[in-house]
Amino acid sequence: MAPRLQISQLCKTFPGVRALDDVSISVEPGEIRALLGENGAGKSTLGKIVAGVYSRTSGEVRLDAAVLGDLDEKAAGELGIGIVHQEGSLVPQLSVAENIFAGRQPTKWFGQVDIRLMRERAHALIAQLGVAIDPAMKVAFLSPAQAQIVEIAKALSRELRLLILDEPTAALTLTETEKLFEIVRRLARDGVSVIYVSHRLAEIFALCDSVTVLKDGRLAGTRKVAETTTDELIRLMVGREVHLTREASARQAGPIVFEADGVSAPPLVRSASITVRAGEVVCLAGLIGSGRSEFCEAIFGARRRTAGDIRIGGAPVDPHGPWDAKHAGIGMVPEDRKTSGLFLGMDLVNNIAATVLSKVSSGANFSNSKAERLAGGFVKELRIATPSVRKIVGELSGGNQQKVLLAKWLAMEPRLLIVDEPTRGVDVGARSEIYRLLRGLAEKGVALLVVSSELPEVLALADRIVVMAEGRTVGELPGEGATEEQVLRLATRFTSSVANVREEAVGA
Amino acid sequence: MSVAQISENEAQAPVEQREALPLRIVRRLANSRELTLFVLVVLLALAMTIVYPHNFPTGPNMRAVLLNLAPVGILVCGMMLLMIAGTFDLSVGSTLALSGVWAGVVAGWWGWPAEAALLVGVLVGAVAGLINGLIVTRIGINALIATLGTLTIYRSLTYVTAGTGVTPISDSFAEYGRAADPILRIQSPFWAMLILVLVGGWLVARTRFFRQFYFVGGNPRAAQLSGIRVDRLILIGFIIMGALAGIAGVLGAARLNSAVVNAGVGIELKVITATVLGGASLKGGEGTVLGGILGVLFIALIENAMIINAVGVFWQGLVVGLVLLFAVSLDRFKTAGRG
Repeated sequence: MAPRLQISQLCKTFPGVRALDDVSISVEPGEIRALLGENGAGKSTLGKIVAGVYSRTSGEVRLDAAVLGDLDEKAAGELGIGIVHQEGSLVPQLSVAENIFAGRQPTKWFGQVDIRLMRERAHALIAQLGVAIDPAMKVAFLSPAQAQIVEIAKALSRELRLLILDEPTAALTLTETEKLFEIVRRLARDGVSVIYVSHRLAEIFALCDSVTVLKDGRLAGTRKVAETTTDELIRLMVGREVHLTREASARQAGPIVFEADGVSAPPLVRSASITVRAGEVVCLAGLIGSGRSEFCEAIFGARRRTAGDIRIGGAPVDPHGPWDAKHAGIGMVPEDRKTSGLFLGMDLVNNIAATVLSKVSSGANFSNSKAERLAGGFVKELRIATPSVRKIVGELSGGNQQKVLLAKWLAMEPRLLIVDEPTRGVDVGARSEIYRLLRGLAEKGVALLVVSSELPEVLALADRIVVMAEGRTVGELPGEGATEEQVLRLATRFTSSVANVREEAVGA
Repeated sequence: MSVAQISENEAQAPVEQREALPLRIVRRLANSRELTLFVLVVLLALAMTIVYPHNFPTGPNMRAVLLNLAPVGILVCGMMLLMIAGTFDLSVGSTLALSGVWAGVVAGWWGWPAEAALLVGVLVGAVAGLINGLIVTRIGINALIATLGTLTIYRSLTYVTAGTGVTPISDSFAEYGRAADPILRIQSPFWAMLILVLVGGWLVARTRFFRQFYFVGGNPRAAQLSGIRVDRLILIGFIIMGALAGIAGVLGAARLNSAVVNAGVGIELKVITATVLGGASLKGGEGTVLGGILGVLFIALIENAMIINAVGVFWQGLVVGLVLLFAVSLDRFKTAGRG
């Protein structure tokens, strides 16, 4: 019998990036196949190509032996390929039933939507998944898990042969995850093949039959879950030459500048503590959804804190908003420079001056010449490639935008600088330059707290690594000599409880 | 003339294939809204002087034009500030009437001194603005809906307060709206507007505090994370807007010596038209008070032309509307030219 899905020599290039390179896999009917890999390994891209979201550059995809041409999402859906997206594709203002049948609502005469029939069918679909959700309810009122189930029901609303789940548990709690697994297993028993995209090892051992590991867009290997180990999978995920090397540093960490103790900001930060010394680079590592960024936002006052103490230079501070944190000497370079970092329509001068309006003013007067001097200084110091300080920031390259964003916070001369994903969307050249800048800052005695989801980056930068999982700081490693395995092990320690749950269930 | 010269110089420079001359002129003008408007205002004034030499450039006509644009000119300062911050206020006309009526009640019915009446009027305006600001920032209702609501509420409060209005108010109160300078003989509302525009223009363009409004409008989330108190600034913007509406209201009432309950009906759209014409965008982050007042001037001239021409008021809206659409399409042109 032909495999349900056969992919041969699949390649996909985005402008400047080879996302998938010569990947071949095949999945049997009723098989649950995990797609594992680090961020950017190409696992989501693979799923999206099969589901018709992206078009492929070259290669062949067969479904039950039939070659698939270039198809869009709709055509893929009609062939029985369903995808549940990471970010969710539901319209919150509409009802559950309407979301399930988006664009394909059953109709009565003259194109009128048959609401009763639609609700009945939606009800049947959801019931088939073994849960009860009122089809007339608005999606906005659903819990993340319920929304996820509606997404699956949406995929099931057609005759399904292959279901792709892209990081479906990112927003779910442990019990909700277990419920989702049951549904997936039932689907597999009914002969539906499942591709389960994830980077959570524990979930793979709990749910999947086999696992394909991708690394930098290439196939690193396919294993039967029963015949592999966590160690082997981690080796497959990581096993590439690390091109970002540590620089031996003669830096001496100074006194403690920053302490956070037992910070909670529900639901994502439960109890996180950290200390950072002057001249030290501390990296906060952890999986997506572990609460790293949210912890930083809570420190910075951009997220409401329900518990925990924060001290700067030993003195307690209680930031209720970013301005309080700024006055205490904390700066934060946010993760998404386009939506939360920069004023894209404004020039470099205004962007850089935004945190230090008082510094570039004489009395009440905003001084353009002072601001231009300030910006000019940073352009030189950070080697920002721009024809003029009056250039609109939105027109610069990603790496230069990131430097402008850094300059904006360096201008206020912070005692603690939080940098969330310092090199997201930045090319390799600018990347090493940003590392150089961050190290230079530490040498000047600034305490640096860097959040990164890229392990090579963490290993290249950190003097100390603090790992978060499930909203808690769960462990600490010295930066010198740490390996990706050690970090991943700490980061996944908490989620491995899922595997235990399963073993108990099997044993019973 | 100067535009033509610059183009000539550029044509001689050995650069890549150039666009057609008219296109270049349009682009140059599009890059500075103030310059565009200034050229248009001057051209319009020249044309009217030539076509209507006996009607347009006369003392009485000029005085009338300048006096009539005073309330819109005062309001445009506040509206520009709000639109720079990415929001706006539809209730200004009602606030203006409410302030005028309260000043009238205090001076005319209660017999308070004129100065106290002026102060009460401006305070009523500021409180109305404060309420708008609180609704927008604390409750989080969109400014369009919030101020649409208060537009009818404040107008209704105006009727409730004074029924058909207060006429006459008092001679000493009226003096504040009628006093004219000895040379040009233009009455005080114009001078108040001029001072407010100059001070407001300086504040918004030059001071650190008001500069923050550009950041708020440019990217509110980034502004918040830069340690700028977004909500507080927007609240202050609404209070300033309200106080300015109060000033326009009491001066209008003083000039007529009558607090009219339907003063300022529809003025909000005129003010927003002038503000957008002057370079503000609904997205926020751009615009200057100078541009705003030029927009007001331009609309006032077109209205004046229509009145002199006796083609009549019916065409006025058509012309203003077309000019507005033209100005905004210039903006599209500007953005396209950048890429």
